[in-house]
Amino acid sequence: MTITESAPTTAPVGERPAPAGDPRGVAGILGSGDHVVVGRTWIVASAVGLVAAGVAGVLVSAERLDTSGIDVVGREWFAQLYAFHPVAGVFLFLLPLTLGVATVVVPLQLGVRSLAFPRAMAFAVWAHLVGAAVMVGGYLADGGPFGDDSDGVQLYLVGLVVVVVAEIAAWISIAATVLALRRPGMRLTRVPLFAWSMLVASLVWLLTLPVLGGVTVLVLLSYRYGLDFLGASDGAYDWVAWVFGQPAVYAFGIVVLGLVGDVVPVFASTRHRMHKVAMGCIGAYGVLALGAWALPGLDDDLVPFRYEAPWVAVSFAILLPVLGLLGLWADTARRGKPRLASPLLYGVGAAIMLAMGVVAGAVGAIEPIKTIVDGKGTTLASTTWSTGVSHYVVMAATIALLGAVTYWAPRILGAAMAEGPSRALAGLVVVGTVLLSLADVISGLLGQGSRLTGVADNVDAVEALNLVSLVGGALVALCVLGWLLLVMRAAASGQEPPADPWGGHTLEWATDAEVPIRSEAPLYDARHGQEAK
Amino acid sequence: MAATTPVLADPLFDELDDAPGLRRPRVLLIGAALAASASAMALMAALAVYLRHRAAVLGAGDAFFGEGSSVPLVNANMNVFTLTMSLVSASWIAYALRRRDRGHAYLALGLTVLFGVASIVETVYLFQQTVLPVRSETGVLFYAVTGGHMAMTIAGLIFLVVMGIQAFGGQLTGRDAEGMTAATLYWYATVGVYYVVWYAIYVTK
Repeated sequence: MTITESAPTTAPVGERPAPAGDPRGVAGILGSGDHVVVGRTWIVASAVGLVAAGVAGVLVSAERLDTSGIDVVGREWFAQLYAFHPVAGVFLFLLPLTLGVATVVVPLQLGVRSLAFPRAMAFAVWAHLVGAAVMVGGYLADGGPFGDDSDGVQLYLVGLVVVVVAEIAAWISIAATVLALRRPGMRLTRVPLFAWSMLVASLVWLLTLPVLGGVTVLVLLSYRYGLDFLGASDGAYDWVAWVFGQPAVYAFGIVVLGLVGDVVPVFASTRHRMHKVAMGCIGAYGVLALGAWALPGLDDDLVPFRYEAPWVAVSFAILLPVLGLLGLWADTARRGKPRLASPLLYGVGAAIMLAMGVVAGAVGAIEPIKTIVDGKGTTLASTTWSTGVSHYVVMAATIALLGAVTYWAPRILGAAMAEGPSRALAGLVVVGTVLLSLADVISGLLGQGSRLTGVADNVDAVEALNLVSLVGGALVALCVLGWLLLVMRAAASGQEPPADPWGGHTLEWATDAEVPIRSEAPLYDARHGQEAK
Repeated sequence: MAATTPVLADPLFDELDDAPGLRRPRVLLIGAALAASASAMALMAALAVYLRHRAAVLGAGDAFFGEGSSVPLVNANMNVFTLTMSLVSASWIAYALRRRDRGHAYLALGLTVLFGVASIVETVYLFQQTVLPVRSETGVLFYAVTGGHMAMTIAGLIFLVVMGIQAFGGQLTGRDAEGMTAATLYWYATVGVYYVVWYAIYVTK
């Protein structure tokens, strides 16, 4: 008796023959534990979440154009949309997309045929879809955070718990795959940086998501019994919002470090400088993003400074691994001959956005800064400064994932994406992110509250910045829509993908299953020999 | 019944099995460790909210359990002893299986399941003895944490029983005892979490 699904190979996806007798079409998708099929399902599911989160984000931004009142969607719906935007953006879009790319790519990078616990991963994706539908249903029933309908709020909370459980199951599968299912010769220190980053991310999320699930169950039970000591319907957001704040939000950026670590050496046609040091930096970044739920932050003045100190220390310490990696990538590029292909452009843009996010986060942790916001001691944590930091990091992860799908399109989609439009989109989405995030950061410094409160002074400047932020958000939305069109066009093209279009270094590009693994870049070794190390 | 261990329907692992000095990848063991960590984190998070709320109530000068409420300590102490004994019997399972001593493995498995069921019965009896309305702040937190641990106990028992059935079916003997080792690892985590719950909720009321 075995649990493993059909027999995938390390050969390119497009060359994989469908086993005779296997179900096709919808039945093939529903019943499959194949990591490519399941990964694609995650990605499709994330696209739905992206649209939902994007629409909510644009409406929230539009409401900020006139800070004197809430007229576009109304005060009641504004609060719910304000909460829905990050919840959907993170749990229905960003994490599913990360899981989708990891599900397809990680086994291929490790040279194995399947994920660990493939049926658990299949369960996770379908459970996630059900949970997401329940969550959205709760919102539509006037539930969700700040909602008025009691049943709707409970529906939302149940859906969120299901989504969290599904994502926990998926991360267990990813982590166990990297830890236990590597091809002979693929030591843990030789694991490609993307697979390594997914291991780090999985461990971080496996210690973070259960905390979210546990407190969400408590909120659900208290709400169920008509108690409000954990907050009424607004508790459904307040007990979740730490995930979107500094420094927990940094965990979403782990994927950036993995992708850039993989594409820079490939497009510089050289080895990654100090691969093990880079692994250490990614691990350190993950450790610093872990446990953020235990850190009170600066927005709670009742907390003694000895409890704030770790939060401040983490805010600064996380700069070190990011700067270290940026230095390694610059040195790697300097030693090679960089080709400005679209995955590299996405990767570089994502790395810069992440760096700006952690720098802004560190600046926000400087104690005197909060007193210069409006001269009244308003904390940056309660202004759109924190929104800007979150936007920087989350958008960095989004850009990295757009680049990841573009880079691994021959493996994920079975076809290559158009290179010219991809390059243009990579540049434009970075511009949009800067407009979106930087405007939020500055308007936060001018005292704009994150929940559209507290704009006492500088109204004209804040509203102008809000317009810039909206334009940035719209540009990002257009770029993502353009990227989706490119994905659909590539998937529908039916063209045989090139076996190794980029000259990759790692096993997912191998056409010879017997390639020896003597370093972290076995295909580079095969081309250049070990002496090139 | 082709292979002896789940997940490993891959020639790669057949090759690994044949290679001298190489061990089978411990997929199930690692998965169980990760699942146990996640379960423990969820319960610890709930317990942290419990302790935070208790500190706030006590800090305000109020009684946490309130007038007329009672939470018995004796049942919780008995549960600690029961689960501690199950730790020994759970270790015995893996020890016996590694030595292909199926008889003792079954005996140890039976004892562990018995202790686990006894723990659940003890917890239910504790709930019956407890005078604490569910529709109260303290009640919601108390029953959520202790009930959550009972759910973890049930999950650990199911894991043990499923692995035990595989052992009865002839699998998981000798070097293939990974599944049972994974189940016992999860059980250790379950008992470990109960020690924390016992101290935080029952001892330091």
